[in-house]
Amino acid sequence: MSVSVQRSPVVPALVDRASFDWIGLIWTLIRTDFKTRYHGTFGGFVWALLKPAAMFLVLYAVFSYVFKSEMAYRVNLILGLFLFDCFGEGTKSGLVSLQAKGYLLTKARFPSWIVVATSASNAVITLSVFTLVFLAVLAATGHPPKPVHLLLYFFYVAALLVMVTGISLAGSVLFLRYRDLNQVWEVVVQAGFFLAPIVYPLSVIPHEYQFYLYLWPPTPIVQFTRMVLVEGTVPTLRAHLLLILMVGTTFGVGTAIFRRYAPRAAEYL
Amino acid sequence: MSGVGLLDVTRVSKSFLIPSVHRATLREHALDLFRPRSVERLKVLDEISFGVRRGETLGIMGRNGSGKSTLLKILSGIYQPDSGSVRVHAHLTAVLELGVGWNPELDAIDNILLIGTVMGRSIADLRRATDDILAFAGLERFARLKLKHYSSGMASRLAYTIAFMAVKEILILDEIFAVGDAGFIGRCETRYRELKAAGHTVVMVSHSPTIIAEFCDRAILIDDGRIAAEGNAATISDRYLSLLTGEPVVRELALAR
Repeated sequence: MSVSVQRSPVVPALVDRASFDWIGLIWTLIRTDFKTRYHGTFGGFVWALLKPAAMFLVLYAVFSYVFKSEMAYRVNLILGLFLFDCFGEGTKSGLVSLQAKGYLLTKARFPSWIVVATSASNAVITLSVFTLVFLAVLAATGHPPKPVHLLLYFFYVAALLVMVTGISLAGSVLFLRYRDLNQVWEVVVQAGFFLAPIVYPLSVIPHEYQFYLYLWPPTPIVQFTRMVLVEGTVPTLRAHLLLILMVGTTFGVGTAIFRRYAPRAAEYL
Repeated sequence: MSGVGLLDVTRVSKSFLIPSVHRATLREHALDLFRPRSVERLKVLDEISFGVRRGETLGIMGRNGSGKSTLLKILSGIYQPDSGSVRVHAHLTAVLELGVGWNPELDAIDNILLIGTVMGRSIADLRRATDDILAFAGLERFARLKLKHYSSGMASRLAYTIAFMAVKEILILDEIFAVGDAGFIGRCETRYRELKAAGHTVVMVSHSPTIIAEFCDRAILIDDGRIAAEGNAATISDRYLSLLTGEPVVRELALAR
């Protein structure tokens, strides 16, 4: 019998893409992650929802009554804090996601990108609760956002999550080879907190240097969401195109690195 | 034999690189940048070819370190071969390393859903099968107990049962019937015979000549990453014992062990 040798390895077609329950797997990973984090108790579930709301109210009270800051600074600061927290938590969870789910990856073949993509679910839940509280406060203080501004806000949040996913995809496979990458990333995120205009307004930076700050993914997201939700203005078309380019580049590079290293990920677990 | 069945393995080779100094962190890579290190290539599988026909049970035998587990992981798509190809023409479910992995912080029901969906089953199917799975594993009373409180035997029983229930066409088993008490092993044997009767294809690794001879239609013997022998399961079992003892084996004695 003649046998044709294929030098390029062929991956077994183990996943029947037509019948694979993608939604079921995504839902189960998100649900079990949530349950593991909050111990599956009703109190844990309530706390998961109350925590961002409580944090918001504490920050709002501190900057209203202790530091007596202006309303615009107050809400800009809190908005920036929560968006950056979503970025930091999302990428940090994503980075260790393949290692954390190694018990599944070494025992069954399935699309491992789902593990990375769903790892930010807890950060997304926190940001969702914050958004509801934040919008309620804006409405209660007589500054409800216009529908178009609200739509743009969700677009920016989606852009943030795509960038988080891109960074997580790259980080998750690289972490398996460099086991201190999470510590390095922790430092980067810590430093990046001050690189993004969260505690200070971007206007304090000389205009010619502001562009470089925009290269740090959270910066355009924080700035643009502040513009639409707090100032009631819309960034320029050029700014949007640059954002889309940034999102595409981050996700594209992350996906390319993941595709390069993911097939051998199990060998590093 | 290859190119004839549901699962075709063609000249698959696999090596692992064993560095003289293991560097697993950025810090180690940076500090040892100019320090030379040698890398040894350990060939685990060398041009392995075989096929499995629909409804057939193939046994794989070999000494520890002969490459059996690596081969199963390549068949299951968990490892990539360096060269050669694996063609799987049906859905494949694998139980490797005495279990399919579980989350110790979740209870049995959530682990059934998690592992079952990873294996390609729908949530609706799994919810319907949950009671049967728990009954089969003998764990009905512990359905809501987190797996970190299970004994290793209980957790392995659950893992085997999920795979037995989730199998669609091809089942890959590492050390079948090595888990659980006599009652569980009996249920496994019954379930295995049901799967065989329904026409499922099975590839199993075992160190037990009795199991290979009793449950397999055909077997291969792997030694030093190569197929040393292929053929009738009872004959290959004898060859395996000969390999271990260096003595020819009388059939009745081998089966009695």
